[in-house]
Amino acid sequence: MEATWSSSGDRDCIRLSGLPAGDIRVYPASALALGTAPPMAGQLVRDGTGLCFIPRFPFVAGTAYAVAVNGVRVADLVRPRPPDAASTGVLVIYPTARVVPRNLLRFYVWFTAPMSEGEAARRVRLVNDAGEELPDALLPMEYELWDPERRRLTVLMEPARIKRGLAAHRAVGYPLRTGTPFSLEVDAGFRDANGLPLLGTTARRYQVDADERHRIDPAAWTLSAPPADSDQPLHIAFDRPLDHGLLARCLSVTAADGRLVRGTAEIGPGERWWRFTPDLPWARAAYRLVVDPVLEDLAGNSVGHVFDRDLDRAGDRTGPNTPVTMPFRPARG
Amino acid sequence: MDGYGLRTSDVEIDSAGPITFGPDGILFLADNLAARILAVDLADPDRDADSAPFDLDDVDVRVGSLLGCDAADIDIRDIAVHSGSHNLYLSVQRGRGDAGRAVLVRVDTADATITDVPLTGVPMAQVDIADAPAPDDERLDVTLPLGDEGEELQVGARTVRILRRPIRTSTITDMSYADGELLVAGLSNEEFSSKLRRIPFPFPDASATDGVVGNNLEIFHVSHGKWETHAPIRTFVPYQDGRSILASYTCTPVVHIPLTDLRSGTKVVGRTVAELGAVNQPLDMVSFRQDGREHLLVANSAHGLVKISCQDIDAQKPLTQPHEPVGVPRQTEQVPGVIRLANLDAGHVLALQRTEDSRIHLRSLKTSSL
Repeated sequence: MEATWSSSGDRDCIRLSGLPAGDIRVYPASALALGTAPPMAGQLVRDGTGLCFIPRFPFVAGTAYAVAVNGVRVADLVRPRPPDAASTGVLVIYPTARVVPRNLLRFYVWFTAPMSEGEAARRVRLVNDAGEELPDALLPMEYELWDPERRRLTVLMEPARIKRGLAAHRAVGYPLRTGTPFSLEVDAGFRDANGLPLLGTTARRYQVDADERHRIDPAAWTLSAPPADSDQPLHIAFDRPLDHGLLARCLSVTAADGRLVRGTAEIGPGERWWRFTPDLPWARAAYRLVVDPVLEDLAGNSVGHVFDRDLDRAGDRTGPNTPVTMPFRPARG
Repeated sequence: MDGYGLRTSDVEIDSAGPITFGPDGILFLADNLAARILAVDLADPDRDADSAPFDLDDVDVRVGSLLGCDAADIDIRDIAVHSGSHNLYLSVQRGRGDAGRAVLVRVDTADATITDVPLTGVPMAQVDIADAPAPDDERLDVTLPLGDEGEELQVGARTVRILRRPIRTSTITDMSYADGELLVAGLSNEEFSSKLRRIPFPFPDASATDGVVGNNLEIFHVSHGKWETHAPIRTFVPYQDGRSILASYTCTPVVHIPLTDLRSGTKVVGRTVAELGAVNQPLDMVSFRQDGREHLLVANSAHGLVKISCQDIDAQKPLTQPHEPVGVPRQTEQVPGVIRLANLDAGHVLALQRTEDSRIHLRSLKTSSL
């Protein structure tokens, strides 16, 4: 009599052989003691010389299962955890800027494949050049911020230590120090969606500059208009690095009639520039760059707001909360 | 099922959320990950039965057994009773990661058999929540968890356990059907995010989004001493035949919110009628009749099962001062650990009860003895 983990076609199953004839049922072992729990949903199929139990809901790694025939427990087996054969790694960590402000707000970590939740709090940390962790620098991440594919993790600095006036800031101050470099480290033990660790530990090192406490002002950007009748890119150089995640969705180009111009956008190294290549050549006409006011820099200052503003500083007052537009006209070739 | 615009199709739920029954045995299921609500005709035949209690021990172990996992991998997120068959439906999240599934489970109250209800080849309709918070919206919704999830926080001399989750997970916190409309509480992608949506049923066409009425909510939060527009309603019941609702929030104001003559997009200010106590999460609410009068039953994480007379609510002037007074009289029932409630029949309220040793049972409470 034998019960083993196996597969039938492309479906996981428990393969049964040498069982006495009768009513065969499978239970999570923890439910068997109840005596009256329903058996696990699934079907028994004949497969080659044996029988296979194919569950309606996938087996859970680490869970003990029991097989009973006519109410008598005849076999036990524990669903193994997947073997360790790592194939996933960190694709990139944003910002890619080498220098960040002391009041830096967030990072994005892109992975090459979908990841498991519940790992980030233990596996992502800030360290100094001696490899020592900067304690309480990151927002605790019991519930993690993932994109729908679970490939991009957003990592936030502890806002209570960045916002001046909050208890944590007054007691222990900024997590970063101007002039003292640090690294964001993603530990190799971070599990991917299959429960496997990463190919290796990845880190990105940053220099720390002074605080950034000004609203983003698109008027301070340098806009290089492309030649008309060409499909050369529109190029925008920023006055400071901007947030990579928001850049990807906050800038767009419209034609004179307000219609969106289709094309491909690219974000430059260090998040210092953005360029846009149209699908069709530029017309000899007026266009607009449209900036969503929620666009932020590395410290969370947006077009509309300074992240941690001084209430008595006029320049910190609230800015626009509607899109800002910058007109341009492709130059004659 | 003519008249409700249902079509036979297959669907998968990404995440188990609130459930509630509508007309003719149609069940509404909320899916917060997908920001979507399904209406499903369960074709559960009516059964003539006298009013009778239903009790079942270790319901989480039993559901786990059917779904092939330990009770620790079962999260029963909501319960609802089919008024015709008196069968019980559970909205269950089972397992995590790639083994995670959202499953609708039926408990037959005639013989206590438990089955899963596949959503394949069933008559259904769906509606998307157009203004749901984006999956990567970084704002966090703070709740007080029941188990050992979350993090510990020092508040004065007390240690409080809180759970911070992306607000997308609270797009839909509770639902109820009244008078041709599905009432949906939760959060939106707006700055002042607490929202009550009213969706006509049959659902409007996807193109006709103006069928949905949405109102931002503002309430006075007595224990926090301030007006509140961000935190969502946690649980509510329709009141006065759907012309208003009675709703409850974390830390724990109970609020009367009128619904008549509301234009979509406007803000509604609720009337806070009771304050059930800070550091407490309201978990579920039902209304029931006793001696011809309507009462409210609120299950709480810290302050037990609380009964309030609706007559007192109607007479209560709005609470607009911090901390005191605490509003209408209330009575705490001697039933500990209730985490979910549903009306079983005219004589019973069904309670999902978590014992001190973390076992989860279904218990019927006689409305005449509450």
